[in-house]
Amino acid sequence: MTTKPVTAPLVDVRDLKIGIARGGGDPLVVVDRANFQLHAGEMLGLIGESGSGKTMVCRALIGTLARRGAKVLDGAIRLGALDLVAADEAIWRQVRGRRLGYVPQSALAGLNPVMTIGDQLAEAIAQRPTPNRTNAAAVARELLEIVAIHRPETVLQQYPGQLSGGMRQRIMIACAIAPGPDVIVADEPTTGLDVTVQAGIMQLLRDIRARLGTAIILVSHDLALVDAYCDHVVVMHAGACVESASVSRIASPRHPYTAALNRSRIELAVPGSDLITIAGAPPAVGAWPPGCRFAERCEIVQSDCRRGDHPGLRGLNGHATACLHPDLMVAAE
Amino acid sequence: MTDTLLAASDLRLTFGSGAHRVAALRGVSLTLGTAEAIGIVGESGSGKSTLARILVGLQLPDAGTVLFRDRSIYAGRQTYPGALRREVQMVFQDPYGSLNPRMTALAAVAEACRFHDSCSAAEAQARSLELLARMGIGEADSHKKPRQLSGGQRQRVSVARALSARPSILVADEPTSAIDQSAQAQLLNLFRGLLGQGLSIILISHDLAVIRYLTRRVYVMRDGEFVEAGATASVFEAPQHPYTQALIASIPGHQPRIQEPTP
Repeated sequence: MTTKPVTAPLVDVRDLKIGIARGGGDPLVVVDRANFQLHAGEMLGLIGESGSGKTMVCRALIGTLARRGAKVLDGAIRLGALDLVAADEAIWRQVRGRRLGYVPQSALAGLNPVMTIGDQLAEAIAQRPTPNRTNAAAVARELLEIVAIHRPETVLQQYPGQLSGGMRQRIMIACAIAPGPDVIVADEPTTGLDVTVQAGIMQLLRDIRARLGTAIILVSHDLALVDAYCDHVVVMHAGACVESASVSRIASPRHPYTAALNRSRIELAVPGSDLITIAGAPPAVGAWPPGCRFAERCEIVQSDCRRGDHPGLRGLNGHATACLHPDLMVAAE
Repeated sequence: MTDTLLAASDLRLTFGSGAHRVAALRGVSLTLGTAEAIGIVGESGSGKSTLARILVGLQLPDAGTVLFRDRSIYAGRQTYPGALRREVQMVFQDPYGSLNPRMTALAAVAEACRFHDSCSAAEAQARSLELLARMGIGEADSHKKPRQLSGGQRQRVSVARALSARPSILVADEPTSAIDQSAQAQLLNLFRGLLGQGLSIILISHDLAVIRYLTRRVYVMRDGEFVEAGATASVFEAPQHPYTQALIASIPGHQPRIQEPTP
């Protein structure tokens, strides 16, 4: 029987609720009941379809919700002992980038096109708790070596536009690890990259975790990727976390949505056979029905599924599900 | 083996001039049979999209031939002249960029219908509704604009637009890259249905799972050349070229898994 380490989690997200301000009326709730814990040195995959709220959770973690007119309405995000929901901008300046690194989906958007790679790395290195300005150049070369960029001297003089997509993403990762964060949040870091480049970037994130002990939250819609690289998976659907388990346990899902995602995996399908798709579409943000938001598309739906609040995560042995009737799933399989 | 519908041989194309010359295609040949799906895989910059643009006639090669039913697709600077115009249609990667944001799904498909067939607005409307329904887009959704549709729905509207020409060949350039997994599954089921109805498909993708699922033969492209070609199943099971081997090894799950500390 596996039990979670008894140490306190590094990041603890509890009943997080996020809303986007609307002119006049109540905010539009886009995430409700996000719950997960990240432990030191862990690689956690946050999975969901577009519109499930995974990117909003990401933004809440790095404190950039306000830029999109959104805010945390309820719940808690803790980084160690620090309460990030109550944090003001002064505290965020100490946390964002320094203790929480961020790797965005598009490395071209994340890098400044008119600054050399060397200058951008120097900026990131200056965020270290004890910046050593005289040695910044040596640190920059060391960072490029960690992210496996050859010819660092040349690359330091270059601009982002002169580099390939994979190289740019490596630079973004170098910038993210430069201040020595405890956690890196990577939002779809390999979307749009070639498979061989994707494999290289994922290998790199894994190496960084092993070498520097950095915990990583990988946000993705690619189950195969999370399956191959993460320790723990959290599945989001319509603004809520519906299942949370180790990668090995998620293979026997205890939520019908996860089961449906598993069945629609193209790489596991037999060529020539029909792919199994999930009927219907997730409910639109702002039009969530009462009870479980997957009920409309669920094969084992019961009458009590459509009542009350969205069910919270409950479970044993580190395998939690929001499904009220996970035992019926086994019968349906 | 099916009869050959499209045959390209020794296609060559160079972009730029002087020191900036880049050979995008260095002698590429392929064949496509009726109701056959072939895949083209390779990295960004390998030349797969350039090849797609040549096969649909959006780009002229420097040298080489493309035969559709044994007839050249070229007439002077024109490609697919006259009645051939409709035979090869394309679906692009980004369904948001390829649909007019101010047109409803129905209007977008009806416009394409009227472009290819001289028919009344009412006929075009009726045919578009039927096409959209085949793509799994009901009447209610057909009156929505692209931003009100999901990524998967938008991509299916693009396919409906392409099919409005009644083509023999559909060239799909990374059609599943921008959409969610369950929407990808829906689109692939749709493609399989179309193959069953006699359409031929050229699928360009860097997603090997999609290629393996849908296509019977695959061409592996690198630096403007095919480095390997063959039956999809055997290329995936026993890749011969080192580059293909590297590609297959990069599929998530092919790496040795890091086991979690076992109790």
